[in-house]
Amino acid sequence: MAGRAQIPTKSSALIAMIADEDTITGFLLAGVGNVDLRRKTNYLIVDSKTTVKQIEDAFKEFTTKEDIAIILISQYVANMIRFLVDSYNKPVPAILEIPSKDHPYDPAHDSVLSRVKYLFSAESVASGRR
Amino acid sequence: MEDQDKARTCENQLEEEQLDEEENVVTFLDSMDAYLTLIDSLSSTLRQGWLELASARHSMGASRISSSLFDLKLHSAATSLRVTEDDVDSKMNQPHFTLCKWASSDNGKCCSGEAKFDGDELQKKSVSSQLRYRGTSQFDEPQEIQEKSPTCKSPTSNGSPLSLDSPVQKQRHKSLSVFGTLVSPKLRAAQFSFETALETIVEIANMRSSMLSAFDQVQKDIESISTGEQ
Repeated sequence: MAGRAQIPTKSSALIAMIADEDTITGFLLAGVGNVDLRRKTNYLIVDSKTTVKQIEDAFKEFTTKEDIAIILISQYVANMIRFLVDSYNKPVPAILEIPSKDHPYDPAHDSVLSRVKYLFSAESVASGRR
Repeated sequence: MEDQDKARTCENQLEEEQLDEEENVVTFLDSMDAYLTLIDSLSSTLRQGWLELASARHSMGASRISSSLFDLKLHSAATSLRVTEDDVDSKMNQPHFTLCKWASSDNGKCCSGEAKFDGDELQKKSVSSQLRYRGTSQFDEPQEIQEKSPTCKSPTSNGSPLSLDSPVQKQRHKSLSVFGTLVSPKLRAAQFSFETALETIVEIANMRSSMLSAFDQVQKDIESISTGEQ
């Protein structure tokens, strides 16, 4: 990648979460919950009533906030906004897809592994050889 | 004679470049392997945490562990991250994440490359990831989160309750108190599991950065090979 952007140093950055209630509960127990002056939280609980638009808006908001360094997103939720997740390519905040209770992790859907998997395809190997 | 020397120098340069390219590929494969291993470790830890949470919900009642109880008043995260720029061999800049657990205004900054906590409990619970390295390891970063707090006074071996004197324990208790004053031991266990999961997540984030950086290097090498052939 040409023109790699400088990575800003942050001393107290947040972990944002877009996941199911149990996962959010667990991580809030671990102390990552944050509520700012505008009463905005650093997490979105996804349930059966959450719309794709809400998830997209939360993702866009978290990826543009300066004080967020890592975004945890359940992989099944990431699949709902796959285009948005795959098109994101900044180093910070880092998007990490995590498993959920009902949906185990699938490396085939991971956006980071999708980016690098073409190296293992026959075409890329053949094009690198004489 | 001079032509022979030039040819030898060119050959040496080509060999060095080839070695660099192979090293980049090995680095990339190592980081990808480590990434997948850490993800697997995270899955196990999260499963344990969900099970403990379900047990706590069973003993305390579903209404006592619910998102409706979450604290929506203004407050800062007790556990945060420090992000620095990791200049690897002056080639590619990549972010480096460090976890700062249970930092509070009483504690001051805890991010001095390590996070302090009551080490005994978490060392028992933490899942060690088995990482295999094929080449020379660039991943000899110190584990950032395995130091006992000097202020911790909690006797855990004789079964007596944990002391609340430690600022870390106070923060933990504050986090648990959202769900009531008396909570199930399973909820405390879930808290530890998710703390361990956080540590793994930070390792995954760092490994992800390394993997993408190594991938970019390998891509550049492939492009230079194909440009050279043309």
